[in-house]
Amino acid sequence: MTTHYLFRSTSEALALAVHRQTFKRCLVLLGLTLGLLLLYLCLGSTRIPPMDVIATLISPDTSEHRFVIQTLRLPRGLLALLVGAGLGVSGALLQQLVRNPLASPDIIGISDGAALGAVLFLAWLAGTVSLTWLPPVAIASAAITATVIYGLAWTPGSTTAVAPIRLVLVGIALAAALKAVATLVLVMSPLSTTVQAYIWLTGTVYGAQWQDVTRLLPWTLTLIPVAMLAARALTLLGMNDEQSRGLGLAVGRYRLLLLACSVGLAGSAVAFAGGMAFVGLMAPHLARRYTGQTSTGLILGAGLTGACLVLMADLLGRVAFLPQDLPAGIFVSGVGAPFFIYLLYRRRS
Amino acid sequence: MAHRFTPTALLGLILSASLSFANAETLTISHAMGTAELDAPAQRVVTLYQGANDAAVALGITPVGVVDSWVEQPMYHYLREDLAGVTHVGLETQPNLEAIAALNPDVIIGAKMRHEKIYDQLAQIAPTVMHETVFQFKETLDLVAEATGKTDAAAEWHDQWDARIQSFQTQVSESDVAWPQEVALLNFRNDHARIYYSSFAGNILNELGFERPAGHQEDIWGVKLTSKESIPSMNADVFFMFMTETDPTVMENFNSWTSHPLWNTLTAVQNDQVYRVNEVDWNMGGGPIAAERMIDSVFEHYGLD
Repeated sequence: MTTHYLFRSTSEALALAVHRQTFKRCLVLLGLTLGLLLLYLCLGSTRIPPMDVIATLISPDTSEHRFVIQTLRLPRGLLALLVGAGLGVSGALLQQLVRNPLASPDIIGISDGAALGAVLFLAWLAGTVSLTWLPPVAIASAAITATVIYGLAWTPGSTTAVAPIRLVLVGIALAAALKAVATLVLVMSPLSTTVQAYIWLTGTVYGAQWQDVTRLLPWTLTLIPVAMLAARALTLLGMNDEQSRGLGLAVGRYRLLLLACSVGLAGSAVAFAGGMAFVGLMAPHLARRYTGQTSTGLILGAGLTGACLVLMADLLGRVAFLPQDLPAGIFVSGVGAPFFIYLLYRRRS
Repeated sequence: MAHRFTPTALLGLILSASLSFANAETLTISHAMGTAELDAPAQRVVTLYQGANDAAVALGITPVGVVDSWVEQPMYHYLREDLAGVTHVGLETQPNLEAIAALNPDVIIGAKMRHEKIYDQLAQIAPTVMHETVFQFKETLDLVAEATGKTDAAAEWHDQWDARIQSFQTQVSESDVAWPQEVALLNFRNDHARIYYSSFAGNILNELGFERPAGHQEDIWGVKLTSKESIPSMNADVFFMFMTETDPTVMENFNSWTSHPLWNTLTAVQNDQVYRVNEVDWNMGGGPIAAERMIDSVFEHYGLD
């Protein structure tokens, strides 16, 4: 009896094995995500019945809800999903790469790098340069930060190039330094910047437009599949370096590739939605309990869980305190953290 | 069928002629984010920042939608009566776009500083005009007036304002107050203190003829002070201080700053020229009515009318 679904290219250069049960559970999770998206599209200042929402999605031109669904809720919901998926997968990759369950993009400095770029942009360039330039600036500064972390953690002459623990420690130290600089910039900048930057640091998908979705989508659509294809290596990288090298893996090269995927996913997500802390840490842990420990299951599960988390948080932000529309970041930690603690608590027995 | 001039066709002609005449009256308003076109002066107005809420009321307009206030939520006491029953569309920082769309407005008044990101979406709901900032109350008044066809009312307000400023200057220079005076505008938060320079109230004080101490003249909003060692930098002939007096942590911090030995070395403190004023009128309101209330309190503290 086969326990895995196997997908491979004709030349067998690329292959992907997915555990059957994992596959089914991911499908359930996907269904859940779509259901949540439908709920998201129904609720808001004005409640729209599900059938009307579906009718609007099919033929927007004839619908009275066109503006609310097509222009406001749908791009915002999709952006929330992409951001959550990016952060979830990024966290899963990092935790596996550095063999540490505490790793996440907002702990080892990637998010802080993006945040500093955004804060500098808001303090110095906002008003004169259009805000559409904020995401590229944030992505670039996340990439620079990651390069610096990698460079500082690098040991010349070592066969594996970087030791995971050095990566974590350098990252944490750099994150602290970047936070300090961002705070300094905020203290010295105009009050309006502080207000804007505070919202950005909390994390929000408010005001999302289609162009935001189409600018973020290529990152998610390229990097998650790349990570999936390298999943086999990810499993091996979770062991110690000697074992994985013994099994014939180019440890240094794969670690760099997967690290780059993780940075790209987190940097792009943070660039469009700001801080949104905790998703990268929490999503992989939640996924592990449901979609299992295999790397493919973990990646898919963490992506879908992260997407659900951010979507749910933004739904709460939009409807919990009507007419106020609050940043999703508040609810990610507010709802996510207690739930996370509950899961850990239940597991004790 | 031959075309004939029937009474109906004639009526149609007259109608279309008058319509095109109306079209000639299209309002084109240039603002911080570009230009907006209105077919007619707006009746249904949504205001997205405090100063615009205030300016609408000053012009005798009741908006169909306003944003929540920063303190005294959901609306500042001084605007409550005029804005009773008006729909709220959430916070100034993230106004609820769906709620705005549901109000079906003729014009939306925003501030680039806060709403640049959502300009495109707002403009799809209704013509949207934006000011650069949120505290230039005179320009806010003019912007709201232009969009609603109330420019006469705005001009009248400006005349009244100028007369009031003139009256203060005449009266204060005839009084026994040593004039001009150097003023410092102080604000206490729960973990730091601030000196405001070129702010809403700071600019009005300058218009009244107050001067700023040498260290306070930079054209920025102001500074944050975190250490009580900086108390001497507050020094001036007169202090106006505002804070959220309902917040016990703010009052605790205020008491701790003002009981510091350095506090008593300040000129204004020694000459008993320290006035506590209302933070809504002096800082949060940001509109023409708040400005009037603010100078009323200056008149009062100087015993003028």
